[in-house]
Amino acid sequence: MSRSLGSPSSLKRKRPEKDPTGLVDAERAVLNVIKSKKDLGIWAGDIAKDTNLTVPVIQKSIKSLLTKKLIKEVVNIQNKGKKHYMAVEFEPSKEISGGEWYVNGNLDKEFINVLKQLCLRYMHRQKVATLEGVHNELKKSQVLKFPISSQQVGEILYSLVLDNEIIEVKSTGLGEYHSIPIGTVCYRVASGTGAGKGPRIGAFASIPCGACPRISLCTPDGVISPSTCVYYNKWLNIDF
Amino acid sequence: MVSPHGIQLAVHLISSFYGDLCSKVCECLLRRGTLTLALLIWYTELTKENVIDCLRVLIHQNCVQAFAIEQEGAFDEAPRIVTQYMALFRNIIHKYRAPKFMQIVSEELGNDCLEIFQGLIQHGRLSINQIIDRNEQTAGSSDVHVVRESLSRLLSARFIERCPAPEPFLAPPYEEETPAKRRAKSAKLAGEQTMEQRALAAAAPIDSMRFVMEREMDDISEEKGEESTNSMPLGEKRKQDVLRSDEDVLDANRKKEVLWRVNFEEFVCRLRHKGCTSCVKTRINDEAGIVLSAILELSRHSEAQQKVEKSDYLSINAIYDKVIKKEGGLGMDFDRIRSSLAQLGCQSITTGPHESYSIDINGIIEMAQIEEAESVVLRKYGREAYRIFRLLSKGGRALETYKIAETTFVEKDDILNRKEEKNGVQNQKKEKNGILKVLFSLWKDDYLHKENVTTSAAERSLFCLWKVKEALWEDVLDDMYHAALNLRLRIAHEQDQAKELLQLPREKIVGELEKKYKLLGRVRVILESSLMNLDDAIMLFNEF
Ligand code: SF4
Repeated sequence: MSRSLGSPSSLKRKRPEKDPTGLVDAERAVLNVIKSKKDLGIWAGDIAKDTNLTVPVIQKSIKSLLTKKLIKEVVNIQNKGKKHYMAVEFEPSKEISGGEWYVNGNLDKEFINVLKQLCLRYMHRQKVATLEGVHNELKKSQVLKFPISSQQVGEILYSLVLDNEIIEVKSTGLGEYHSIPIGTVCYRVASGTGAGKGPRIGAFASIPCGACPRISLCTPDGVISPSTCVYYNKWLNIDF
Repeated sequence: MVSPHGIQLAVHLISSFYGDLCSKVCECLLRRGTLTLALLIWYTELTKENVIDCLRVLIHQNCVQAFAIEQEGAFDEAPRIVTQYMALFRNIIHKYRAPKFMQIVSEELGNDCLEIFQGLIQHGRLSINQIIDRNEQTAGSSDVHVVRESLSRLLSARFIERCPAPEPFLAPPYEEETPAKRRAKSAKLAGEQTMEQRALAAAAPIDSMRFVMEREMDDISEEKGEESTNSMPLGEKRKQDVLRSDEDVLDANRKKEVLWRVNFEEFVCRLRHKGCTSCVKTRINDEAGIVLSAILELSRHSEAQQKVEKSDYLSINAIYDKVIKKEGGLGMDFDRIRSSLAQLGCQSITTGPHESYSIDINGIIEMAQIEEAESVVLRKYGREAYRIFRLLSKGGRALETYKIAETTFVEKDDILNRKEEKNGVQNQKKEKNGILKVLFSLWKDDYLHKENVTTSAAERSLFCLWKVKEALWEDVLDDMYHAALNLRLRIAHEQDQAKELLQLPREKIVGELEKKYKLLGRVRVILESSLMNLDDAIMLFNEF
């Protein structure tokens, strides 16, 4: 960044309008601040603090730097409402972009769901599999047009565990685990009666009170009470 | 301490089974804890006769236990013996479980036993002679041998038990000790057992007599029974005085005959086991379910007595023998059993040719509990909340907002905006529809605990750490009691609405009326089966 500052022509002239890179002083100062933030980027408001320039000057410089393709606008997922800028040579850090699963500051839910379905389908075929196994299978499949890391597959599998679609277990080396060394962490579809149905709805959750947003207001003789409860009427399908 | 809706449910049950006066007395005991007769009269504002009558009913129905303690006299007076009454919350709740208990008895032991069992459910406590009399009345005639035979079958299945002592005397724990020792010991005791727990332990018949009916045993118990419940020789004489003091109340229990009652513990234990087995069947597989139920059956009687965290070590051979006798277990071999044992997380010890396993019963119960709570979260707050809740409950530690969002694939929304919103800038509301919205709704309803951590870095000065609330199970249990109460109230309401219809003779119920009649029947079935299912879940949450 000091290359432009060190040029001989800038030393000769007292207040140069432009340096050989075609930047005015203000633009250069702004660019330097932005560059110094590397892959974190910076909000326009914070540039003012760091450069002592006025807001209109900064706005103008940013605009010009953008057209010169020296900086770019990035979405900071921690603060989507504020425009952030970053030098073109940097890629937004995970903190700014949200990580591999984010596209333009939004969670790429569609992609995640596709991956989940792929993993799940494989798991149902396989019953038991290790992370490596699933990763290899994904790499082999024709569906994904770009590489996916083993860590990403791990994250997908863990979210399936949280969905209660699959279970994380350690191989016992017996029965269905025979091909996996004892003690290796692997994943298994629930093969019981609940298999493939996702989480079981418990007894409490399957009656209206279990999902009732008003349970704390409901009393035997109150305005909200089981004898007048609309959720019950709907559940029991009675219309008086 | 019993939860507020647990008390409401118990009071409702007592009022529907034994009337409003009894429920008033019972409510007073449940809310205020153990009381003397005088205080009960004072608080309930009922007459002495009324209170005594109610206590008699409640004791006879196993809902109240009396015990005596020594109270220091004021101003140089000699210490006095006072009778205390405590409500037995769990026994009250068991009242509406009777149909389940009867079903188990009928399935396992058949009709003769069920007949006797029904009598005990209805009357609370009965002597053998009363049982025989009752049988004669209901069945027309009664063969004493058959009755005795059935009774002993009920006893060996532990479905019924000898009644506890009517009014055990609790000696002060620190008698004749130096003050220092006393302090140390009473502190220890206070940490271990409350007065009520000690009273229950003192009242319980000794193990060797609890399920035994032998004639000789009866004789022994008459001579020694009360003594065995109270090994304090010093208290013996005083106890006799005590028994005389509240004689009125205890009259009903002080017949010379031995009284029998339902052993609720056994049923609850079986039903809990059933719940665990079905949970394992859905979560792991049928084979693991079969193995678990075999293990639980083998270790049942040690669990019924106290809260056992782990089962005894059982040999693989014993487990195998039990498994192959189970439905669906016939084809299983040792390897498949071993594999199921491993999936169940059993610990094993192998010494030479002996291979034995122990299972973490508490762990399995916890798994079933968590599953119940999770499914409530799923229904109430949706799938993202479900994933978040599972992440937090599995890890058992606090996690930061963004970490949670990343692991559960929930949209991160910005923390900075929230901060501004708090400072009065309202225009960012639309942003708050990702992780924070879910976390806040769980937090607002008391599922999660939130901790704000401030760091000095200006950019992200506000961190939030989230974890599952510690006493969550108590809250969930309280909500479940609330729901059970609601179901019962709704059943009563439906009955009430259709009172006139139900009073009509059956042949007059035609056309529109018949439609209504059928609808009512359907509604009742839904409500009642839901109540029974809910109750299965409640039992999983109940502490022993
Ligand atoms: S009775 Fe109705 S209002 Fe009351 S808690 Fe249940 S569902 Fe909610």
